[in-house]
Amino acid sequence: MIVPQIVFWVMAVIAVLAGFGVIASHQAIRSVLSLVAVMLALSVLFLLLSAQFVFAVQVIVYAGAVMVLFLFVVALLGPMRERASRRLRFQWGLSVLVVAVFGGFIYAELQGIGFRAPDKLDTTVFGTVQQIGMGLFTTYLYPFELTSILLLVAAVGAIYLSRGGRTASEVRRQEDAELGRGGPSQEEDEIA
Amino acid sequence: MPDYGQIQVGAGTLDARLVLGLAFILFLLGAVGVLIRRNPIVILVCIELMLNAANLTLITFAAQLHNLEGQLFTLMTMTVAAAEAVVGLAILVDIFRVRDVDDIDELSELKG
Repeated sequence: MIVPQIVFWVMAVIAVLAGFGVIASHQAIRSVLSLVAVMLALSVLFLLLSAQFVFAVQVIVYAGAVMVLFLFVVALLGPMRERASRRLRFQWGLSVLVVAVFGGFIYAELQGIGFRAPDKLDTTVFGTVQQIGMGLFTTYLYPFELTSILLLVAAVGAIYLSRGGRTASEVRRQEDAELGRGGPSQEEDEIA
Repeated sequence: MPDYGQIQVGAGTLDARLVLGLAFILFLLGAVGVLIRRNPIVILVCIELMLNAANLTLITFAAQLHNLEGQLFTLMTMTVAAAEAVVGLAILVDIFRVRDVDDIDELSELKG
């Protein structure tokens, strides 16, 4: 059967093209949408590799919830034009060099990879919700509870960080007032 | 000696090396993005790309070894990624509230 190979190659090409879209687009919103495409392609590969539950989580939680959060922030902050930086311009060549060396190391590792024999050969039930639940609530109960605490900490931290503060125009207005320049100009009021 | 790198997929097989190569390419793309892009949101997006590549590796080895631990660990990675995205974006929104940043290198007030 050649079907798994066809599915893999189609999804791999989509994922790599969308991955290039993530790092090459000039607008943040296109990067985020390309990442959604990468995630959906990868979710099909998860399904191919008999990870049904992870597939569902990837589509619903990751491509759904997390990326919508990114889209909200992009929409909130407005379009940002990325212009060529005046500072740290040498970073570009240096970063490509670092990634090339790092990639060379991983490529060398992949060449000499040796696969261990599978733990068990019964693949009739694998990656089902039942098995995942059994794993999460028996053997890996403590890590599971720790991730719940991590989520709680992240939620509290996000609320603390994004609670009401001063906006940029308010800061500017206050700085103007401190400098004794009077109120903001008419133009700024219209923007606000 | 049988080739353990071939993963049973339904009636056919899939070479694990192919999937690992795809994860490798995606991870490198994310690393390049983090290093060369200047928009802070895009940098967070590229970090998510690298996390996804790592997840693909975990799922591949879970399928190759017929061992569920890889999939369980993938779920934990997703939780950590969600927490990281939430806190990172909250920090970004907090910074943007005070000033407009379109270049991450402008945020250098904390350097010694």
